[in-house]
Amino acid sequence: MKPLSGITVLDLTRLLSGPFCTMTLADLGADIIKIEAPPHGDDARTNPPFKNEESVYFMSINRGKQSIAIDLKSQEGKEILFKMVKNADVLVENFRPGTMEKLGIGYERLAAINEKLVFCSISGFGQDGPYRDRPAYDIIVQAMSGLMSITGEEDGKPTRVGVSIGDIIAGLYGAIGILAAVNDREKDGKGQYLDIGMLDCMVAIAEYPLARYLIGGYIPKRLGNKHSAIYPWDVFKTKDGEIVLAVHNSASWNRFSKIMDSEIFMNDSRFKDNPSRKANESALEEMIKKILLEKTTREWIEIFAINGIPCGPLNTIPDLPNDPQINHRGMIVEIKGHKKVGTMKVAGQPIKFSKVKTNMFSPAPLIAEHTDKILKRFGFKENEIKKFKENKSIM
Amino acid sequence: MSINRGEKSICLDLKKDKDLEVFWELVRKCDVLVENYRPGTMEKLGLGYDKLKMANPSLIYCAISGFGHTGPYSQLPAYDMIVQAMGGVMSITGELGHPPVRVGTSIGDITAALFGVIGILSALNVRYQTGQGQKIDISMLDSQIAILENAITRYETSGITPVPLGTRHPSIAPFQAFPTKDYFVVIAVGNDSLWKKFCQLLNIEHLLADPRFITNKDRTKNVEELEKIISQITTTNTTDEWLKIVQAAGIPAAAINTIDKVVKDPQVLARSMLVELDHPIAGKMILPGNPIKLSLTPPVIEKPAPLLGEHTTWVLKEILGWNDVRINSFITI
Repeated sequence: MKPLSGITVLDLTRLLSGPFCTMTLADLGADIIKIEAPPHGDDARTNPPFKNEESVYFMSINRGKQSIAIDLKSQEGKEILFKMVKNADVLVENFRPGTMEKLGIGYERLAAINEKLVFCSISGFGQDGPYRDRPAYDIIVQAMSGLMSITGEEDGKPTRVGVSIGDIIAGLYGAIGILAAVNDREKDGKGQYLDIGMLDCMVAIAEYPLARYLIGGYIPKRLGNKHSAIYPWDVFKTKDGEIVLAVHNSASWNRFSKIMDSEIFMNDSRFKDNPSRKANESALEEMIKKILLEKTTREWIEIFAINGIPCGPLNTIPDLPNDPQINHRGMIVEIKGHKKVGTMKVAGQPIKFSKVKTNMFSPAPLIAEHTDKILKRFGFKENEIKKFKENKSIM
Repeated sequence: MSINRGEKSICLDLKKDKDLEVFWELVRKCDVLVENYRPGTMEKLGLGYDKLKMANPSLIYCAISGFGHTGPYSQLPAYDMIVQAMGGVMSITGELGHPPVRVGTSIGDITAALFGVIGILSALNVRYQTGQGQKIDISMLDSQIAILENAITRYETSGITPVPLGTRHPSIAPFQAFPTKDYFVVIAVGNDSLWKKFCQLLNIEHLLADPRFITNKDRTKNVEELEKIISQITTTNTTDEWLKIVQAAGIPAAAINTIDKVVKDPQVLARSMLVELDHPIAGKMILPGNPIKLSLTPPVIEKPAPLLGEHTTWVLKEILGWNDVRINSFITI
């Protein structure tokens, strides 16, 4: 049994935030029924790059789901959805606010069919407030939330986080909300509506920078790879590459300074405690820089690791599958059996349970790959399915 | 105080027998235990999961660590920046042609925490059906890999190592920050119909027929030239002026807010994403709210972070059911 076995999710989501949410649930064993619009389906299916004409982007965030294509603008399509809702636990959608109501499949209507339904909406700004109707993308909420203003080089430009963190964090909070609501349902049998806004989620993770401003009035700036209060804490060049170092307290400073050059470092009053080191950062930086150039990244990591000093290589994406820890933890996995693409490598699933293995994934579905199977499961007969297809309300 | 609101604090020295007794009593009565010590620390204290589950088989035990409880790096120390560097996120964040930079907030810690919550809630779901708890092993490094989005698959398909792109999107254009008269404006032209609107808006309709910019694929390939053309136009107005013009046309756009602007944003305020709490020592303070808006049982944020040991008496009385005499003798020893 997987952790979410037996939970059926109707997934009307597209692009990234919603699909990342339902992929997380799929990894944990929930039954994800991806309901796509005929004839093209999820917009992400057209996002580059492609392999055998299938979007690699789509395949990387839709593994383990089943696809059915239903025309929800047709009355027959809506009737099919209503029947599916009767036997579903969760519905997730990430249309612009108001779209589900316009289609006549809003929360009120669906909750009347199944009061146990947990209905999760993920949108850019949430279902209310002055920006409700505005379109949003990841980069928009990264900019509005302040994250972009604190990411980048000290004297450089604001920079986007290289992954779509605005979508991903909203997907994760969505999964948490859904599971909390599913747990809550055990008490009274009632589902509820869940409203996730990407901008809200970005504010929620602003933690320390936001607290520093709200409590201390300090407007956080870009710091590159430096820490606002601790030094040494940065990326440094080595003989053959880079190393990231975080010397966070006096015990690790003592060990670190011994490795560097105990005579010079330990007796210099400019470096006696962390506030002094931070104040004399540039002098210290110059000294450390020189020494770190003497050995390779791998050599330094071995030395620092033995001494318990937090450090690591600055991995590029091709380094990841070769990293022994990432490998050991099954965090890059091969998914086999995609009907058009065969085998591909994707990121694994980071929640490791003691009782169950959750690192076997089936590939992302082709559009409408499971239409017949899904409809039969929800109690539709062969002749009905045939009729729906003739009427083009399904594909 | 910003990340411990609504929690209760009890102060126990897990190396003392008397305090350990309280700990074991709590283990027998609680649903979930979360710890983020270096792997092996709980075992050294005699409090590893294998022992705890004998006392309470339905206990859900969630461990969060830098590299996880298994594998060659398991015993190494980690911080947010270490896992951002090792997990590859840093290698794709930063200015174009410049060295990689850290994400300005601690996403290494935060994503591990969110995956931890998902794990705990999933395990609760199992427990409803089987009555059994389990251990969940969350690694910050694993969590960084899990959020790499399309970077791994892009590399697997093209063989090209993804690099920092400033504010550009790897596969959509124009989708980035452009310079204005006074700062920057972020404009996200996510598809061909928005591209058409955008060209009309900027009076550059001739680009619609320009073979360099017809499809998103063309625009991404020739993004450098496109950026030059658009930047020349965006620098003629201020950020605020551009926001009005571009948003009115239904094209996603944003200012790059600094934190002081974020806390005054009408949408942030309308969504209760800032909450005021009264701390007994620090006084009134404003904190980020909770983004999980549930209709029946919304998250309630009313209590500030606890003082050290503030709830020792409460825990002993309400959770463990001790009487006043026993509580007093425990506290005064």
